[in-house]
Amino acid sequence: MKEKIKKHHLIALCLLCLTGTLCWLTGVQFLSMRKTDTFYPSPGLSAQTKLSDYFPQLADSPGDTAVYCFRGEEEGGNLLILGGTHPNEPAGFITAVLLLENITVSRGKIFIIPQANLSGFTHDDPFEGNPQKFSLETPGGRRWFRFGSRLTNPTHQWPDPTLFTNAAGQALSGAEVRNLNRSYPGKEKGHLTEQIAFGIMELIKKEEIDLSLDLHEAAPEYPVVNAIVFHENSAELAAIASMELQMEDIDIRMEASPPSLRGLSHREWGDHTPSMAILLETANASHGRLKGKPSEALIVEGKDPNYVKASKLGMLFVPYSKDGIPIKERVARHLAAVNALVSGLRELNPDQAIDIGNFPPAQTVNEQGIGLYLHPPK
Amino acid sequence: MPEYAIFLSMVVIFAILAMGLKLPIGVSLVFSALAGALLGGEGLALRHLVEGSFGYFDTILIIVTAMIFMKVLQASGILDTITAILLKTFYKRKVTLLLTVMAIVMFPGMITGSSTAAVLSTGALIAPVLIKLGLSKVKTAALIAMGGILGMIAPPVNILVMIMGGGVDMPYIGLTIPLLIIVIPLAIIISLWLGYKDIQILDYEQMKSILPESYSQEYGFRLSLPVLVVILLMIGQGFTSSFMPDIGIPAIFLVGSLVGIFCARPFNFFKVTQDAMKESMPILCILAGVGMFIQIMTLTGGRGWIVMSFLSLPPVLLYLGISISMPLFGAVSAYGSASILGVPFILALINKNAIITSAALSAIAGLGDLMPPTALAGIFAAQIVGEKNYFKVLRYCLVPALFELAMGIGVLLLAPVIEKII
Amino acid sequence: MKIIYHLIVLLLIMNLIWYLFREKQFWTQVSIAIVLIMFFLRLFLIK
Repeated sequence: MKEKIKKHHLIALCLLCLTGTLCWLTGVQFLSMRKTDTFYPSPGLSAQTKLSDYFPQLADSPGDTAVYCFRGEEEGGNLLILGGTHPNEPAGFITAVLLLENITVSRGKIFIIPQANLSGFTHDDPFEGNPQKFSLETPGGRRWFRFGSRLTNPTHQWPDPTLFTNAAGQALSGAEVRNLNRSYPGKEKGHLTEQIAFGIMELIKKEEIDLSLDLHEAAPEYPVVNAIVFHENSAELAAIASMELQMEDIDIRMEASPPSLRGLSHREWGDHTPSMAILLETANASHGRLKGKPSEALIVEGKDPNYVKASKLGMLFVPYSKDGIPIKERVARHLAAVNALVSGLRELNPDQAIDIGNFPPAQTVNEQGIGLYLHPPK
Repeated sequence: MPEYAIFLSMVVIFAILAMGLKLPIGVSLVFSALAGALLGGEGLALRHLVEGSFGYFDTILIIVTAMIFMKVLQASGILDTITAILLKTFYKRKVTLLLTVMAIVMFPGMITGSSTAAVLSTGALIAPVLIKLGLSKVKTAALIAMGGILGMIAPPVNILVMIMGGGVDMPYIGLTIPLLIIVIPLAIIISLWLGYKDIQILDYEQMKSILPESYSQEYGFRLSLPVLVVILLMIGQGFTSSFMPDIGIPAIFLVGSLVGIFCARPFNFFKVTQDAMKESMPILCILAGVGMFIQIMTLTGGRGWIVMSFLSLPPVLLYLGISISMPLFGAVSAYGSASILGVPFILALINKNAIITSAALSAIAGLGDLMPPTALAGIFAAQIVGEKNYFKVLRYCLVPALFELAMGIGVLLLAPVIEKII
Repeated sequence: MKIIYHLIVLLLIMNLIWYLFREKQFWTQVSIAIVLIMFFLRLFLIK
């Protein structure tokens, strides 16, 4: 007996096809975030390795990020620069890219990881309405970069626990299990994010890094912004650098890393390795809770009328005018701070001096834009 | 079109679709979000719509699996048995009965930080007992909804505080006492307010006559296994993280459901999951729709406009702003309210102790779970007592919610004093 | 743990599709279709 196909079955079939089509259309857009960014390392590059060279378990995982190594001919200090711990904080990421595409090192060693949480670059946060990428103009054309999420992609690390207990035993909300800067010192057999953290710790130990820098951005309403956050082992260095920055008319806050706040780079790097540990913050309106309409322009130009209003109400921890805080200014700040910290390191301990050539000058970047120092797209 | 006009248009379109054309709330939200994207010049913004719905994907998994667990307890006769046992134990004294009920309802919320988990698990166990003891359906639902919310705020796990703490780099330490100061008086006042007048004390014969069928003779200890397994796995979360990953609430509920197959009256598991789907579908679609709505609201600048409007209130009105905006924004979700508004408010109150401030704000944000259209606690409480119109339940939640709001604001104002005492 | 959640999502998708074809009310069917989008995208680990 043939059962008659009823109307609601046909509707169901149509809806199922529609669902499939919508999955296809949006899926293509979501998957476009997995296309990797292209970087053009400077001729000074000595070796390009992967984090899995330091922690083999990461091999072929979505967390196995590139490590760019610049070795000088003379012995000196060892420096690690991390960008992209939070892929929605582009100034840190772009500063790292700018350095790896320009510098040469004649003394000491520099390791640059531009996309510390590579998985976070492959998706966007729900509810934030952010664009998937942003572009910067170079003399030879426009370069595009991904604008990702603060957290590891949930399809790479699933499910989140109800509560995330960090290595120090503190409870955090479950989603923080995908936050690289809450996962240090990491776990060999932990979640992907903890393994990335573990890999970075291994790099710091094996390469005997003297100074480790983690480049971030924060919302303008957040108290720790335009700041050097330092582990107690780096207090003197941070003080020297901040004085140098003040002399260049760059206001910067000094924030000691609170001993009770665990899992963060500036705490655990310093506690678990001999390296000095410092985190740098600039002010990014596209990152904040008061932001207006999210857009590529908000990321690059950093102009937001909501923040102008908030500034007038005295709610911000940085000066904010209608000109906004563009990414070139934020990157210039990071560059100036890195430069000041490197010269501070030389002053403190001449054996750890690092000589860097072609360092993109902060002032020029601020005045003429980042594109001047970015390799044109091929 | 200015951002506030887009936002208001979205609200109006939602109201027309949901109230005028009587479309399901979830579907109305989806279409109003779509309209917002078009009005904002973003085209269809399909990527944003789907991305927004993913903001609730984890919650949706919890709700579906919790519903399956509840249906298993019902189909297997476990729910009836537990009701009978609880009635036999607690029928003698009003105050102890009500306080015990409150504690039982709160428990799953305390360990998961989710009011939904509380309402759908022990709330559903307790509801038939209260109705049999003379409390009306809607008052029972109100009591359970409030219990769920208090459980969500109570220590040891308060996810709202964790979310706010995450935004201001405050570790989740030292919250137990401030949270208890808020929750214990509320739990006592609210349970007595809603229950004391109506609940009846029965004599033994009366009580026996209303007892549902108990299967405890037939299946013995086995009957309690599904509930015990769920409770143990929930408590065990975090303890096991050093050697194995947490299995998470959805998997816990499913394990409990599978255990239920073998512990009592036999039933058709597929039919049970279908029933669970049917009952949870309206809320699943609402959550997907709310996710899309928020994403488009953010995308078109509406979220920023709302946050700025409340934050730019003069200092005298700040507390009024907190009282109105945090529960109101909770219509999005209590968690969303904690993140989007809670963090700026903690910063606005930065001269006060952040631990006490965040505890008090979490009590206020928690009320968001009573705010339509999502009103998670209200909707589920209505569902477990079989009340179709959840607004009736919300009406009885109003006074208890005001108690909670007053407590939250009181603790905010008295933060310096409380800080000295603890 | 990921595999367990994959299986949970698969189980729920099968249930949702079955429900979609059994349901007679149009708007409920639409609701199911909306929810299904998320489940498919997660099943294939796209989002």
